[in-house]
Amino acid sequence: MWPLMRGRPLLHITYGSDQAMLNTGTKKVMTVLFVVFLILIPFSIVPGFKFLAEADWLRLLSTVCIFAIGALGLNILTGLAGQVSLGHAFFMGLGAYTAAWLGAAPGPLVGMGLPIWIWLPAAGLVAALVGVAVGPTAVRVRGLYLAFVTLGLVFVGEYLFRRFDNVTGGSQSGRGFPKLEVRLWKEESALVDFSADGPWFGIDLTSQAKTFYFLLALTVVFVVFAKNLQRTRVGRAFQSIRDRDIASGIMGVGETKYKLIAFGISSFYAGVAGALFASFVGRMIPEAWGLFLSVEFIAIVLIGGAGVVSGALLGTVFVIVLPRLVEDFTSWLAAYVVVGQGAFVWLADLFISTGIDDWGLVNTQAGVAPGLGVAQLNQVLYGLLIIGFLIFEPLGLYGIWLRIRNYWKGWPFTY
Amino acid sequence: MRIKSRWLAILLAMGLVLAACSPTESESTTTEGDAPATTEGDGATTTTGEEPMTIATDVGVDLEAGTITIGLLSDLSGQYSSLVQLIVAGHEIYWADVNANGGVSGLEVVVKALDTEYLADVHVQRYEELKDEVVAFGHSTGSPQTVAIIPQLEADGILAIPLTWYSGWSDPAYNNNLLHHGASYCIESMNVISYLKEQLGDAATTIAIASVPGDYGLDSMEGAKIAAAELELEVVYDGSGAVIPGDEASFAAVAAGIVGADPDIVWLTSSPLQYGPIFGQALAAGFTTAAWSGSGPSYNPAFIAPDSAIKDAVAAMTTWGYAYSVWSDDSPGTTAAKELLMASGRVASPVSAYLEGFVEAQIMHAALQAAYDAGDMTQAGVLAAAKSLENVAFDGLAPDETYVGTPNEQLQRATNIWRPDPAGLADGTHAGEVVVESGYVSDLAAAYEFTGACYQLS
Repeated sequence: MWPLMRGRPLLHITYGSDQAMLNTGTKKVMTVLFVVFLILIPFSIVPGFKFLAEADWLRLLSTVCIFAIGALGLNILTGLAGQVSLGHAFFMGLGAYTAAWLGAAPGPLVGMGLPIWIWLPAAGLVAALVGVAVGPTAVRVRGLYLAFVTLGLVFVGEYLFRRFDNVTGGSQSGRGFPKLEVRLWKEESALVDFSADGPWFGIDLTSQAKTFYFLLALTVVFVVFAKNLQRTRVGRAFQSIRDRDIASGIMGVGETKYKLIAFGISSFYAGVAGALFASFVGRMIPEAWGLFLSVEFIAIVLIGGAGVVSGALLGTVFVIVLPRLVEDFTSWLAAYVVVGQGAFVWLADLFISTGIDDWGLVNTQAGVAPGLGVAQLNQVLYGLLIIGFLIFEPLGLYGIWLRIRNYWKGWPFTY
Repeated sequence: MRIKSRWLAILLAMGLVLAACSPTESESTTTEGDAPATTEGDGATTTTGEEPMTIATDVGVDLEAGTITIGLLSDLSGQYSSLVQLIVAGHEIYWADVNANGGVSGLEVVVKALDTEYLADVHVQRYEELKDEVVAFGHSTGSPQTVAIIPQLEADGILAIPLTWYSGWSDPAYNNNLLHHGASYCIESMNVISYLKEQLGDAATTIAIASVPGDYGLDSMEGAKIAAAELELEVVYDGSGAVIPGDEASFAAVAAGIVGADPDIVWLTSSPLQYGPIFGQALAAGFTTAAWSGSGPSYNPAFIAPDSAIKDAVAAMTTWGYAYSVWSDDSPGTTAAKELLMASGRVASPVSAYLEGFVEAQIMHAALQAAYDAGDMTQAGVLAAAKSLENVAFDGLAPDETYVGTPNEQLQRATNIWRPDPAGLADGTHAGEVVVESGYVSDLAAAYEFTGACYQLS
């Protein structure tokens, strides 16, 4: 059998191999290589990617892991089950404050000082329960109307988070969140503390590297679950509802039940992501769980490619890392203006504004020179990207990847 | 389509390559490092002063290149960006002048400002980006944001100047790595309300207070309540935390509450974006008898157009306090700063916020010089030098500061009281701010015993 299979990776002769999560040898090899690459990042030994081991880049990658968990959640609801939701930030906030209530040390604000293995799952569960509770309202509407119902959630949340200031610390003040550390119970010293430098199994690691590994491990778990969900009975029900809800109802797929499950699972992901994010940052104000955060997740799903796990991951990397790249690019160009010679001076002159009378797209003297600040440029790019992807590539980055893959598959022939 | 997507992929790849290049370039600023400072024993023998001292360095000071790098965690695009951008410009202009005149004992100071967007998560990310490049932080914008980086500051042993006047910075629990300056919002409230009561005498018996939520508004409210109790002003309306930014309905409710209570003094702490509408609505309701004030950041002359309907009322009815000087002040410190600012060609319209940049930069200058003189310009060395500064004098640009002694000895109790000048508002130069009392310390503030933050940021 095997010799026949070789070179025909798309020929599946058993149901099992057809449905495997990684159904070709290339995928298996690439996945293993990629995971090895991720694990090697903090050691700064991969040529071309050594810079990723710096503290700030590791922090950015940790943020990517957290946002990836959140994006996977929204991808299940929006991409897989086809239910638009603008309420993702609300569920993240809910998870974060559940974590604070259970995990933060007792003080002026509520906190029980329980360990992470309680507060992290609880953050997901509470968010999931609330998701299922608001689900029935959402089940009755779809499309644009559902977007508005979930948009309402964000504003209700904003009010509640401001109102219950003994949990949230109050508007614009915020509160501290439990640290990322593992304890058995409420004992003094943590079993594993991700926020302190020191050796693990004899290997010296910085706190950023430890945090990255912890979040990476969690992300892998959530990725595997999301990927697996797609091929289960539940996942297929989601997709049938997304593709044609009436038809799937006729086939006996219980729409209400599966929509509630979708809301529950998605909110669980959001709750966990929110708890991790708050704990990772250490301190958040209630305003952080606002509409903009929801929009950010929608952007991730749209840019990455709705309904595909790797799309959500690609989208997260893109949306989180792009601002940093734009910024590095700008400061690289700005350096040319200072030096005044080199191949790209003309571009820098055109692009960068350095004084009151110097017009350019981006200014390096915020508030003084005309032009956009780097953050504003990022926001503009962000908007343009969403529009661009919706018009030119609805499949998102995943779609681009598909076409690159197919191009090389057929190379040197076009078709 | 096919071609477009290929270009996108190429662009992406180029972006990645660029990103790979830039951070590695900036790696070369460290080294020299762990050599211990050897000035102790032989210091007495080499008294000629010609022999260069050995300076210990780790991060942010490059003796070979002759540079010191300081970082700024600045809100360049968030809700306080209109002010913070000017403060950053103040830093840059101050250091450009210092560098032109020999720098810090021959070392050139480089300022690296990154945008925190006034968000805690971005703030922490920016801190990570800068901490391996800079010797200290020239400012850190926002109280919750600064609290978020305090554990890291302490773990890394780095100094930061908070760009917020939260009363809790005097608390030893927060203060280990901070060098705060100026009277807190809480003490500013006591000072300005005391001043108003002094001016109005028996005519003032009631006060209305209102603020935005958060440490800024609520710290100011606590001070106002202390002042009201001590000065026997009856609080006829309490809108602490009731002004919700972006929520027009809350502005109307607060304006109505103030008008309905008919107070003699209004103490409203917010940003100009909320102060303007509330003040305007109260005026429109025919309420023109009170003296209005609030914490300094509530006012920004740039928000009052020359043809504004409320400009005369602003000039006639409001009194303000600042932790630093105002533009029209003519003390030697302020005059020198103004000359540099105007000569820089970067000041579109003169606003006092530029001066805050000078105040912060001068504190940092004193700390860097002290660290150099002690022969230890490591991050920890600068922190230690900063924490032993007995007197930082500003020649009138701001009240002098001390960073040794108990929290009560270090506590800044002086506020500059000033009023808008009608002529300056009318011609749009915004230069017209008249100092009515420089370095004012009310009896209340003088007697105030610091035992903890007025408003606890938990």
